[in-house]
Amino acid sequence: MQDTEEIKALFDKRESIPLTPKNATFTRSEGGLISLTLHYPDKEDEYFERVVPLRAFPITDPEDYISIREPDTIDKGHGDEIGLIDHMADFDEETQKMLRAELNRHYFTPELTKIQKVTEKFGYLYFECTTSAGPVTFVMSNPYSNFRSFEDGRVFLYDIDGNCFQITDPAKLDKASLRKIEIYL
Amino acid sequence: MKLMFDLPPADEAVIPAPEPGEKRMYCLPFNYLEGMIVKGYMLFTNRHIYKVLEGLLLNTWDVSRMSEFTIEQMFGCSGLYAHVDGKSHCLCLFNSGRNLPRYSVVLTSFQAIVEEHDETILTSEEPERFCPKCGRPFVQHTTICPFCQDKKKIYKKLWGMTRGLRLLMFFPLGVALLSLVFRFVVPAIQRVAIDEYIIPQNDDPTSIRSFILIIVAIVSIDLIQRAVGVVQSRISATSANRFTLMLRSVLFEKIQTLSLSSVQKKSTGDLMGRINNDVAVVQNFITNLLPSYLSMLFSFVFALVILLVMSPLMSLFVFIPIPFALTGIILFRKTVNRRNVRAWILTRRTDTHLQDTLDGIRVVKSYGNEEKAVRDFKANTTKQARQEESNASLFDTVFPLFGFLLRFGNYLILLFGNLWVFGGTMTIGELNQFNTYASIIYEPILQITVIPRSISAFSTSLGKILEILEEEPEIYDAPAADHVKLKGEISIRNVTFGYFSYHPILKHINVDIKKGEMIGIVGHSGCGKTTLINLIMRLYDVTQGAIYMDGKDIREISQDSLRTQMGVVLQETHLFSGSVRDNLKYAMPQATNEEVIRAAKLANAHDFIMRLPEGYNSMVGEKGYSLSGGERQRIAIARALIHDPALLILDEATAALDTETEKLIQDAIDRVAHGRTTLVIAHRLSTLRNADRILVLDHGKVAEFGTHLELLQSKGIYYKLVMSQARQAQEKD
Repeated sequence: MQDTEEIKALFDKRESIPLTPKNATFTRSEGGLISLTLHYPDKEDEYFERVVPLRAFPITDPEDYISIREPDTIDKGHGDEIGLIDHMADFDEETQKMLRAELNRHYFTPELTKIQKVTEKFGYLYFECTTSAGPVTFVMSNPYSNFRSFEDGRVFLYDIDGNCFQITDPAKLDKASLRKIEIYL
Repeated sequence: MKLMFDLPPADEAVIPAPEPGEKRMYCLPFNYLEGMIVKGYMLFTNRHIYKVLEGLLLNTWDVSRMSEFTIEQMFGCSGLYAHVDGKSHCLCLFNSGRNLPRYSVVLTSFQAIVEEHDETILTSEEPERFCPKCGRPFVQHTTICPFCQDKKKIYKKLWGMTRGLRLLMFFPLGVALLSLVFRFVVPAIQRVAIDEYIIPQNDDPTSIRSFILIIVAIVSIDLIQRAVGVVQSRISATSANRFTLMLRSVLFEKIQTLSLSSVQKKSTGDLMGRINNDVAVVQNFITNLLPSYLSMLFSFVFALVILLVMSPLMSLFVFIPIPFALTGIILFRKTVNRRNVRAWILTRRTDTHLQDTLDGIRVVKSYGNEEKAVRDFKANTTKQARQEESNASLFDTVFPLFGFLLRFGNYLILLFGNLWVFGGTMTIGELNQFNTYASIIYEPILQITVIPRSISAFSTSLGKILEILEEEPEIYDAPAADHVKLKGEISIRNVTFGYFSYHPILKHINVDIKKGEMIGIVGHSGCGKTTLINLIMRLYDVTQGAIYMDGKDIREISQDSLRTQMGVVLQETHLFSGSVRDNLKYAMPQATNEEVIRAAKLANAHDFIMRLPEGYNSMVGEKGYSLSGGERQRIAIARALIHDPALLILDEATAALDTETEKLIQDAIDRVAHGRTTLVIAHRLSTLRNADRILVLDHGKVAEFGTHLELLQSKGIYYKLVMSQARQAQEKD
């Protein structure tokens, strides 16, 4: 059996549309977030006080396929997708900057610039590092699965709190830093 | 869980003085600001929310103007959002792993403030996942901080547990010391043999006789030593097994007495790990490693003293290579570790890949990707093999070198010893004795890098075991808990309950159920149906209110008598490995065969059981016949009925069955419900057509309660559910 609410939600989902500079205007909201106005040829504009941008391919294609969604609410649950931006570059600079800032806040992945210390104890790795977001200490549980290397050479480090740190090019790290992590790469 | 962090003085100074009636409710850290990692605080009062960072008041929000509090989980961090005057704002960003549970409490609390003006300060029983002292995470699923745990306390506890085993435990140690003594005696006797008889080369009969005596002594000491060794291994095998047996049974017993809530917080794998692996680690340490470390320590000290007494000057030579070898070993240890880790990672990678492809072999084959699979596998194993080869060849070269380095002491002794022997200040026998003792000193040094690691592994495992042993069961029998014969009347009075205090699942439930009634419980998933059942079974205790059975608070009835008078059938039927008969008798081992058949007949299970080749003796469970879902379910119903319970609970017992089987089970339920109180949770409303009354739960509250007809007439939630199911059924046809 399906819950009546669930059934309703199934049919009530709004249809996602392609978003282009023609039909969508993004503006900075009063609360410093992003608002969206949708323009339709045949009906009145639709205004969203706040929208949430998400990346479809946050790692491989961060600039393309941006899903613009309604925020989650307690009453309605998960927000629906309003539309999809195929290429962020189609929009003007200002909009791009605004969206990118919001996206970077969402996909918060500081760049590791220096690794001061890595200690292994009781199956955990304890890191002391300098990052683009300031100095951090973090703990990683299973280095085997929490170092993720990509084909373009980037390496992601996931800590036990779900944070993610990035090394764009391990070869560019200083020797001492690299030595501390190279066995996991 | 901590919800009121202390503000640093600098931050405290910038918080405005409280208004009259303003009280501080929560103070939590926030971790990110404009792309930087920071250490700021959010102070929540019933009037304001303050955001402070290093002595700066960044924001002040007026709670009365706020609404729509939400938390959004992002990538690694989460954000607290709210509407201020109807406009969305992001209040702060925080580290999900550390602070999400804390902010969830605040979220619930502020929703209550905004919607119901309920300013109760909530607390959370959820355990901390980080050490309050050092901020490091606890060992997974535990509250042990490996850096801060009080080792002394743990060892004391362990000592207390070994009562009755101590003799067995210390025997190996005693024997080890005994053989140590022999080790020191033999070189001394050898010295006498060499100096008195071999060197002088006199052939008078008395000295030959004494020489033979000495040889006999050496041989018999050797024999005794071996005999002792045999006894030692046999005893230590016994003591190891007894120790494991003791720890495992204590642990298992304890797990069985713990309440469901605390057991469910840990995964089955974790519990099994503690019973198997951690016990093995502790046992190995106590019965094998500890005696050998201790005897190493003793022999080291012993040999040291003797060497110093014999010749202080010569002992110097013994120590010359030690610092060099030690530094070498410690430095090389890093390389060893690194190479071992790398090999381990490559092994893991091969294993994962292997498992992946074997599990998905159908997919691999159906996409014709066998070649790629073989290629990937070869690439992985080749890498692994190369790494292991290179490790082995390096280790096998370097370790003998360290041995040689240490032996250098022996060479020095031989060199200078011989000079002294030529000079007449030392005998050859003494030189031999000295040299043997020097070798004893070197042994522990090669081991020195392993010891700290095995000690820390031991204390972590021991901590994990003790954590369970020390856990207080959350549900316990009241001192005067009675054994009561239940009739089956239930009344639920103003019951509120949540697995976490900030998240109540049931709110103010009031229900009376008469003896012998069949009650259907419906509602959408997550509305609290199963939770209500769990409370009636007293798998959890209510947070507020009380549940009465036959007018008696269930907390005053012994758990044993309560549960033996209930029959429970769950959606996921677990049959234990064993015969059908064993399974049916699970709740009442003394049941007769007649009773078994009667229960099976009641549950509509007799016929299909008779069709099994070995009837009631057929094996079911993991290794037995594969029964269909409906068959398993009927066995489960029969199992629940065997002891003729006053109260029968069916939790979604028919959810996963086809219509025909459902009909069979439906008949069974109707039959068994006759004359006993029955609670049936069902998604399929047709299951409930014979229910006396139906209880509709919605968001943890009683929405409707009445007969089928009454509820249909009132056209509420139940009516809508019935209609939507009828429509679905039509669409199917």
